[in-house]
Amino acid sequence: MIISVNWLKKFTAIDLPIDELATLIGARLVEIEEVIDLGKKYEGVVVARVVECVKLEGSDHLNVAKIDDGGVIDDIERDSNGYVQVVCGAPNVREGLLVAWLPPSSTVPETYADTEPFVLSARKLRGVMSNGMLASAKELDLFDDHDGILEVDQEVVPGARFADVYELNDFLLDIENKSLTHRPDTFGIIGFAREVAAIQGNAFTTPDWLLDTSPNFVEKNGDVTPPMVTIDDPLLSERYQAVVLAGADGSMKSPLEIQTYLSRVGVRPVSAVVDVTNYLMMLTGQPLHAFDYDKLLAVGGGKADIHVRAGRDGETLELLDGRTITLSDNDIVIANADTAIALAGAMGGSSTEIDSTTKNIILESATFNLYNLRNTQMRHGIFSEAITRFTKGQPAALTAPVLASAVRLLAASTGATRVSEVTDTLKTLRNPDPIELTVSQVNAALGSKFSAADIVDTLQHTEFDVTVNEDTHTMNVVPPFWRSDIHIGEDIIEEVGRLNGFDSIEPKLPLRDFTAVSPDAFDKTRAALRRALVRAGANEVLSYSFIHGDILKKAGQNPENSYRITNSISPDLQYYRQTLTPSLLSLVRQNEKNGFDDFALFEMNKTHSKAHGLNDEKVPGEIDFLALTVVRKKASDDAAFYQAKKYLEYLAGSFGLELRYDPVANDVEYPVTAPFEYRRSALVTDVRSGEFIGVVGEYKKSVAKAFKLPVYSAGFEIDPRAILAATAKNGFDYTPISRYPSSERDVCFKVDDAVNYAQIVTSAQQALQNDSSVQYQISPLDLYQAADESTKNITIRIRLTPFTETLTGQQVSEYIDGVIAAVTKETGATVV
Amino acid sequence: MTDIDTLRDTLLARIQTLETPHDILKASEFKALYSVIPTLDPAERGAYGKRINQLKTELEAAASARQEALEDSSVMPLDITAPWQLNSTAPLLLPTEQGTQHPLTRELEEVIDIFTRMGFDAHESRQIDDDWNMFGALNFPEGHPARDGYDTFRTEEGYIPPAHTSTMQNRVLKAGKAKLESGGQIASISYGRVFRNEDVDATHEHTFYQCEGVFVSDDATLGQMLGTLRAFFEEYYGQKLKIKTQPGYFPFVEPGLEFAIEKPAALGGKPGDWLEMLGCGMIHPNVLRAADIDPDKYRGFAWGGGVERLVMLKYGIEDLRHFESGKLTFLRKFL
Repeated sequence: MIISVNWLKKFTAIDLPIDELATLIGARLVEIEEVIDLGKKYEGVVVARVVECVKLEGSDHLNVAKIDDGGVIDDIERDSNGYVQVVCGAPNVREGLLVAWLPPSSTVPETYADTEPFVLSARKLRGVMSNGMLASAKELDLFDDHDGILEVDQEVVPGARFADVYELNDFLLDIENKSLTHRPDTFGIIGFAREVAAIQGNAFTTPDWLLDTSPNFVEKNGDVTPPMVTIDDPLLSERYQAVVLAGADGSMKSPLEIQTYLSRVGVRPVSAVVDVTNYLMMLTGQPLHAFDYDKLLAVGGGKADIHVRAGRDGETLELLDGRTITLSDNDIVIANADTAIALAGAMGGSSTEIDSTTKNIILESATFNLYNLRNTQMRHGIFSEAITRFTKGQPAALTAPVLASAVRLLAASTGATRVSEVTDTLKTLRNPDPIELTVSQVNAALGSKFSAADIVDTLQHTEFDVTVNEDTHTMNVVPPFWRSDIHIGEDIIEEVGRLNGFDSIEPKLPLRDFTAVSPDAFDKTRAALRRALVRAGANEVLSYSFIHGDILKKAGQNPENSYRITNSISPDLQYYRQTLTPSLLSLVRQNEKNGFDDFALFEMNKTHSKAHGLNDEKVPGEIDFLALTVVRKKASDDAAFYQAKKYLEYLAGSFGLELRYDPVANDVEYPVTAPFEYRRSALVTDVRSGEFIGVVGEYKKSVAKAFKLPVYSAGFEIDPRAILAATAKNGFDYTPISRYPSSERDVCFKVDDAVNYAQIVTSAQQALQNDSSVQYQISPLDLYQAADESTKNITIRIRLTPFTETLTGQQVSEYIDGVIAAVTKETGATVV
Repeated sequence: MTDIDTLRDTLLARIQTLETPHDILKASEFKALYSVIPTLDPAERGAYGKRINQLKTELEAAASARQEALEDSSVMPLDITAPWQLNSTAPLLLPTEQGTQHPLTRELEEVIDIFTRMGFDAHESRQIDDDWNMFGALNFPEGHPARDGYDTFRTEEGYIPPAHTSTMQNRVLKAGKAKLESGGQIASISYGRVFRNEDVDATHEHTFYQCEGVFVSDDATLGQMLGTLRAFFEEYYGQKLKIKTQPGYFPFVEPGLEFAIEKPAALGGKPGDWLEMLGCGMIHPNVLRAADIDPDKYRGFAWGGGVERLVMLKYGIEDLRHFESGKLTFLRKFL
């Protein structure tokens, strides 16, 4: 929405410099996107009179004009009379005409905002000197007009500034419509001016004609049957008024000043009849529509039998802009008899369009259901000034004063006379409900110190009706009819705070007791997980929650298990991810291409799979995961599995967990295990708490191929809440430091290839764990397999720490022999 | 034509014997099919060519399947319990110096820490929710124009990837009701991912993070809201700050405001430079009612703002798209 400051000034005094005004409006009404200095565009434009006009010899359309500019322009070639010569090709240039002259070195307003604005000069046209140009409305950036140069329609002295004559020394305020969605009244200049008055601390007086909700219409001079109006469904329209006018001259133009005001706020001038309806809409926020009465009768078989009804399935309507649309039952149409003639609130139909031959019109002033119109707006892509206003919810009380004013203005400007009674579907006008509140309620909510008088003044400035009961300190507030957004005490409190400036309220801190607030345990766990992985050289990433169905498929996951976005921006963002690993894998290739050969990425985030079902609140369950992927570009004989496992062990160590690695079944596919190769992956459980942590491993060959991963790539996907649960269950396991020295022995077991490392360690532990006087620690030293052998050597180091006495060599050997016996029995190992 | 069918069976059988199954397309019998084309009647060539192509597609599919099976059978199981590979040594972690935390989670931790110290508890926001929590409980009736401003996505089932962290507000209020009614206050922040159907450029993302705060007590005021927000930003930037507001319309607050701070000196700010940080306001009575809190006894304020903006300002990050790009060139700048 564009607001003209000069237009505001016709209703309230504004003395502030423009930047201060913009700041004040920003602080107390609405953010201003941009302030446009309109006057700058017209700085060089001068009103001049054509004193002589002759055809240019050898041209079929050019004229040589001598113009009188009152001598205001310096440094220009003049004839003996002081006139300036300009060549002009417009058909309407003629002696005596007052024109807008763009002298040399002035800028053509139409090109003002261009990167290279067109600056005029004195130059020869067909050998004849032409000083600047005589401008058309289009060149003046006012509106498209194909009739030739602009004809100044006010009697002014040549040499006057064009901008002064038409009040174009103006500032335009650009405001985003949605910032005022809740304020239909501010979509009219008068409503906006009311706010501007009040935020400056001034009272505002709405013009009487707009306050009069049961106005007298100009005298009827004719006897046409008033249009019949039926609202077929009362939900579609609260009020519909219509009246017939005769003798309107459809070819007449509005005064240029009206046209410049319309065009500067973005409305194209059309004809006097149409301009009056638009002018009143911009002034009051109430859209009007004019139908050609004779065309309307023709559609309805000679009758004006207007119906406001829902569109019908498959029904079509040709609009003013030439488009034929197909209606739905969500659209509201205006029909005569049974034929749709307009898309209510949005756009008129071509069958009843006003044109230059129009004589008789029917004027509509109505309200329509804003929810239907919002639907219409989106479905048909109509963003007219009218629908913008209707969708804010204009009050029913407004239709009458605006209609009365339109009839009056049309009579004055086009000679139209009212020939019918005014049809009105509304029986009784509902008055706004009064709202009661106290001064202390206002101050308690705002933290302010307003007196009763402050509050009353503030509200009265915007024409609220306020009475104060001195005994109860209660205020009775009745909002004016145009404030359909005011319903409850909080709305009044907002008005008081806003109009006085929220910034005038002293910021204070709430009081609280000394109770400590604990950080969330899961947040602490996550922070610790991040720190650990960062210490381990990994890089945390964030990636989108939505992914392409192909990414799911590449990772071996079924898109059917993902929630699908119906209005996604692109197929790349169509599905919720089920786990994080696919997102990480799709980041590997691009980083390798950027020269990173050796890296680990991790992400901690929520995931969503239909497999998780709904929670107690009947919304989809959310599962947190922590995924890591580690890759190395250089090929290696080592399995990347052990690298990923190393990361997991490092994390586990940071949290005091002891992990057990179990095989992954081949036949069960969970989203989380889907990308992993079951023969080279493990399910991970914390031994002490029994919490299942997640999966670690290498990726399936098909997955690695699909994501173009290097051969050396592996990762894990684990549940950070399980880590929290495990740590909480395990507690902290401290044993006092022993006073006796520890002993170490290394043992090398030769076992069959099929025996795994854990079997050896587990048997060794079992042999030692029954003796509480000794603590033990078992760690790997060496894993060796000779070429072509079906056995391997596993060397472990056993560290024994006694608590009751120093161990003798004999005692240590007994412990070690026990271990050897247990391992040998369990695995068939021989000691090397 | 029949010779194609016979050949098809022969070739498909042969694929199962090949160690490099895609070589089937180089088989001389198959290649020979092509050389037949020029000898045919021009009217028949099209149909014949089509048959060859069908066969080729079929052979490729069979070859791929065989290739996959071969690869699968070549996968060697590992001792998943071992600490490292046989005949090798313990793998090393990557150098600590190259590890980085994402700047967004880093700042988010900072924000949460400040609010925790100020007395707010913290919850992560949901990433999929229903219409009631996203709109209904927040005084946005069905079809309300203000819903348009949120450009929400929808799932097939009608769930919404939340467009604001206020999707948690009704839950937070309900959870705090008992504490409030026993003489306490509700002081809580919700943070997390939100989603909007927006075209992406250097300053717009469809996925971003917000942090939302709620405070309810028996005497909350708009002045306290301004004080709380100022206190947060002063702690975050470590300096005294000027603040200003402008009216803003959000159906779940009344009055509603947009909140700005004077750009801190640490960010190269000069007096008169303002940064719009968040939207805020006094919680609308209907929102309290939706959580079964009596708006005649209790009042509250709430606010919500983007997290990326804080991070971008702090580090001078030029493009919002870096955050979710997963690019190490970006991430490794935050050592």
